[in-house]
Amino acid sequence: MARRKFATLKSFLNYVGVEGDRTIFTWVSASEGDRWAQVIKGATEKIKALGPANKMVKHIG
Amino acid sequence: MENIETKLREEAKRLLLEKKAEVIIGYEKGTLPLTATPCFITKPEEADKLVWNNLCTQNLAKFVHDLITQHKNSQKRVKPEDRKRKVIGVVARGCTTRSMIIHLQERQYEREDVCIIGVPCDGYVDGKGLKVKIGGADIIDGAIEGGQIQMKTSDGDKTVALKEVLADCCATCRFNNPIISDVMIGSAAPPMNPDAEYEEVNAFEAKSMEERWAYFTREMDKCMRCNACRQACPSCYCPTCFVEQSQPQWVGIGEDQTDTQVFQFMRLYHMVGRCVDCGSCVAVCPMGVDLRKFLKKLDKDCFEFFGNRAGSSMEDMPPLGKFDEHHDKGDFVYNP
Repeated sequence: MARRKFATLKSFLNYVGVEGDRTIFTWVSASEGDRWAQVIKGATEKIKALGPANKMVKHIG
Repeated sequence: MENIETKLREEAKRLLLEKKAEVIIGYEKGTLPLTATPCFITKPEEADKLVWNNLCTQNLAKFVHDLITQHKNSQKRVKPEDRKRKVIGVVARGCTTRSMIIHLQERQYEREDVCIIGVPCDGYVDGKGLKVKIGGADIIDGAIEGGQIQMKTSDGDKTVALKEVLADCCATCRFNNPIISDVMIGSAAPPMNPDAEYEEVNAFEAKSMEERWAYFTREMDKCMRCNACRQACPSCYCPTCFVEQSQPQWVGIGEDQTDTQVFQFMRLYHMVGRCVDCGSCVAVCPMGVDLRKFLKKLDKDCFEFFGNRAGSSMEDMPPLGKFDEHHDKGDFVYNP
């Protein structure tokens, strides 16, 4: 079910013009420490490459 | 249409007399020319008020849900064995029955709680489009005859073909006949043009991301947060909407641009596999926000990814309530 929600969310974000690539979704088990590190490393790299988000960001003050 | 109207009134009268329904939700003539408004018929003699024509806009499933919820709440303090069922009769076209199927799938009420009077539908008039078509003139009087709308306006007499001013959702409707019904009135309506239903979405997808974002921003800037879309939507039935929740507060209530975008985005996204494209939100929007462009995309995704059309069959489960290991798209999953 979560996968269906994320599949549609990512597609819809892309559709309205927000970078859907920021939506990163995967499964990691509590026993997969190594994979967890890899996922986070990869995700951080991806987000850094995209730069700061400036859409749908609320500026307070 | 006349014939259907007569039969509809007879049927409504019969259901009320035989106590098969306690109230019939239908449409009556509106107070403004060329409009129809939802009405609640409780007495058999009032049934003659009912109308059925191309001006019946609102999706009545919303009121079905409202009435049943109200009744259920009023029964809360009654002993279980003394609780009564209140059967709601409703005049329903294709999209109304689809919305009710969604309610039934989501266990909002039982099939026995509703008595569906099915009517064939050949689309409704988009009031805003009509106004644009006649150059913004005020309609003083009007009638629909033989596929033509004849109007007396502040700018002289005008005639517009019905086909030209049908709402977008009706012109490409796939389900214009009721899917479930207890009583069916009239014969099935001819199909509309469902092959073209995703044309608008496909054209929008072809644009660049910045263009799409610019369009979204421009449309959402029109929104004044009146929540009419939510009030009219049969799928928006949460007792407390996320907009009004204060602990936690999901979205600000002011007129901040981002808050509006977030509100609209979230409301739209809640419609995955639940939007039946009845066009009620678009019809009630006082600012003319192009909500359909975004809602239709959700419908397209739901069909392309999961092969599901919202409320198209009683046997289906809600698409986001299940998954299919072998056929669901998996390319969005991140695997480093």
